Amino acid sequence: MSDEMPERDADKALAGEYALGLLSPEEAAAFESRLAHEPELRVLYAQWAEDLAALTDPIAPVAPPVHLHGAVMTRLFGGDDAATAREGGLQWFRWLLGGLTASVLALVLIFATGLPERGPQPPDAPAYVAQLAAEDESLLISAAYDAEAGRFHLERARGEAASGRALELWLIAGDDAPVSLGVLPEARRASVTVPEPLRARLDGAALAVSDEPEGGSPTGAPTGAVLAVGAITNT
Amino acid sequence: MATRNEIEAWLGKAALGDRAAFDALYLATSAKLFGICLRVLDNRAEAEEVLQDIYVRIWNHAGRYQVNGLSPMTWLITIARNAAIDRLRRRRAARAGESDGTDMAEAQADPAPGPEARVIAASEGARLDDCFDELDSGHAEAVRGAYLDGESYVELAERFDVPLNTMRTWLRRSLLKLRECLSR
Repeated sequence: MSDEMPERDADKALAGEYALGLLSPEEAAAFESRLAHEPELRVLYAQWAEDLAALTDPIAPVAPPVHLHGAVMTRLFGGDDAATAREGGLQWFRWLLGGLTASVLALVLIFATGLPERGPQPPDAPAYVAQLAAEDESLLISAAYDAEAGRFHLERARGEAASGRALELWLIAGDDAPVSLGVLPEARRASVTVPEPLRARLDGAALAVSDEPEGGSPTGAPTGAVLAVGAITNT
Repeated sequence: MATRNEIEAWLGKAALGDRAAFDALYLATSAKLFGICLRVLDNRAEAEEVLQDIYVRIWNHAGRYQVNGLSPMTWLITIARNAAIDRLRRRRAARAGESDGTDMAEAQADPAPGPEARVIAASEGARLDDCFDELDSGHAEAVRGAYLDGESYVELAERFDVPLNTMRTWLRRSLLKLRECLSR
């Protein structure tokens, strides 16, 4: 851009332009390739998406004609189940190849970075969530808290422990010293139980991941570098 | 209106192939999304087609909702808005192709948002409106025009009668100002 803005400001404006669909196809494509590996940019985009969605608040809901409901279900599930499930995917793919604009592609791109794998399933309605991201984006973990079970469901989208080292998860509540929630397994999905006394203190707390010897910190406090931190936020 | 938790639960179940949950999601959210399609497209037949595409896409992508960082309603609204704008732009491009090309901007021009777009509704909308009030006159309309009418920089420059580069510099500054205000 020709107007001089500090880089962070330029990105804020750029994310807004992208959310509004104002970028040229080339600019949008460049933004999307950055989105895929810049968590901070994803946060900026998500903020704009949330705020701009409020522009639809004054739009009155209009019940669609009843036959549309049936049409959608038939399109997705009509006829033989397995065949239509595949067809649904194909139709979508054709649609994608058809006239898809950059703004729509963004969603695809963001979500494609974290395709589901086998493992513990995240809670349907997490009470708290946190995004842990390393400054250099080499590690990216999302956490969702299942209040009923008192557990965090973790999904590691990027990064792993260095060879012969372990990633240890910490809960930091208020000014207290970090409390270990355990060493992360190799699997990308995991869940960890939060000790009972800490469950009431998650609001405003933070999760962090540190680099530790295999088996975890020998001292009960982080001994290696803190690789990623994320604030726990109320959903 | 369904709660955020309900919508999130339905999306989670739909991601695992639960058709009943998807059905519940459709029943709870389709009126909102159809309203958006109608507002953007101002054409019932097109809005009906686009709404079907939207729910096919929601079903196929429900599994990716979990990692996107958006609230569930925002995720749904963004899919709907983008699909509707996409359709609107294709329609405009087709119309522009039919004309002789010299009056492209005119052919693409859309009426300014009606009074209903200025009504203050829910709390988040009120916050956005407050921040819009802090922008220079006309800038809020430019942001609305881009979001709800799919207006491009070329169209906005035409509407506000300023050079394209000026329009862009101007809007980027307003976006920053808006971001500051919304983050307060």
